[in-house]
Amino acid sequence: MIANEEGLRRLMRMSQSGDKQAYAVLLEQCGGWLARYFRQKIAPDAVDDLVQETLISLHRKRASYDPSRPFLPWLAAIARYRWVDRLRQSYRHQTEVLDHHDAAEESHEEVVGARISIDRLLDLIPSPQAEVIRIVKIDGHSIADACIQTGQSEALVKVNIHRGLKKLAALIENE
Amino acid sequence: MNKKMKQPFDISQLVDELEPVRPMNIRRALILPVGMTVAAIAVIATYAGIRADLMAGAPHPMFLLRAGTLLLMGLVCAATLLAMANPGVGRQGHGWKTALAAALLFPLAATILAIAGQPSGSSGTMQSGIQCLTFSFIGGLATAIPMVLWLRRGAPVAQEKAGWLTGLAAGGLGAFAYNFHCPFNSVVYTGFWYTLAVGICALLGRLIVPRLIRW
Repeated sequence: MIANEEGLRRLMRMSQSGDKQAYAVLLEQCGGWLARYFRQKIAPDAVDDLVQETLISLHRKRASYDPSRPFLPWLAAIARYRWVDRLRQSYRHQTEVLDHHDAAEESHEEVVGARISIDRLLDLIPSPQAEVIRIVKIDGHSIADACIQTGQSEALVKVNIHRGLKKLAALIENE
Repeated sequence: MNKKMKQPFDISQLVDELEPVRPMNIRRALILPVGMTVAAIAVIATYAGIRADLMAGAPHPMFLLRAGTLLLMGLVCAATLLAMANPGVGRQGHGWKTALAAALLFPLAATILAIAGQPSGSSGTMQSGIQCLTFSFIGGLATAIPMVLWLRRGAPVAQEKAGWLTGLAAGGLGAFAYNFHCPFNSVVYTGFWYTLAVGICALLGRLIVPRLIRW
């Protein structure tokens, strides 16, 4: 069963009323949707963690969903917030280099408009910043690799990552 | 990598914890800052008194202009802020920018008058200015607290913006409350002290609020 806007919205309304059966279906559907949403936007081995964190956020913040509004833009805002937060955490700690994998191609659901995608978010920041965030934070390459690939100095790569993440955080609700 | 996240994740745990929740509604949220503003006016009226022209039932045009501008800016910023508790891609309120731009006409006009050296009425004293700042700040704090608590319940995703808006809304509503006492009608006084009061509140909001509403 493929998640769709109307179905998810109905499930969420029922979940807010305390319907556990509807909630179980909702979480399962959202888990699948989120896994597709995050694929290729973070290292493959981090996708599951990010999906879990987002589902926990959905659970904790479920009262913030307004039933008179569409569901997927709400879920996408929560997902983008967790994604940016994850990128920032890895930026702060910089403890490990993520392996690069080619994630399997999977078609997007029709209901997921390009306007709420993470790619769209990256398009909204200056390209030198988006470029180094993709190389270092998403593909998991080192700062040195990013310098070689982009021609930017090490200091500039770091500054661009810092500024880019800050801008991403401010643009979460932008289409 | 977060160790906690490495533990097996079980959806049924979340399902078991499910309790009914009341969806957050902005109309309900707006009652609190509006109520606190009314309370702030009452406290200021009791402690410092109401302007003489208001008591006489003939308000000065400056009082009305200032009250309208501050109330509009405070309410629009508060509504935009409280709506941020219900996030959503594509949800971007820009009305607060227009209200802020309208409010900035006061400092702009004050600057032009000051440069031109035109008389604009009493500009008050440092003591009256400090009183304006103090009352506006206390009134603003009273309105800011329920708004921040509301945001903490919700899921604001743009925390720096939320910080600025908290300060602007609280500063605007706090200064609106003080306006009921303020005896000065000068454009220069308004442009300087009221702008300073709202500006300080906005800056404090930006510095303090984001760390309070992170989730």
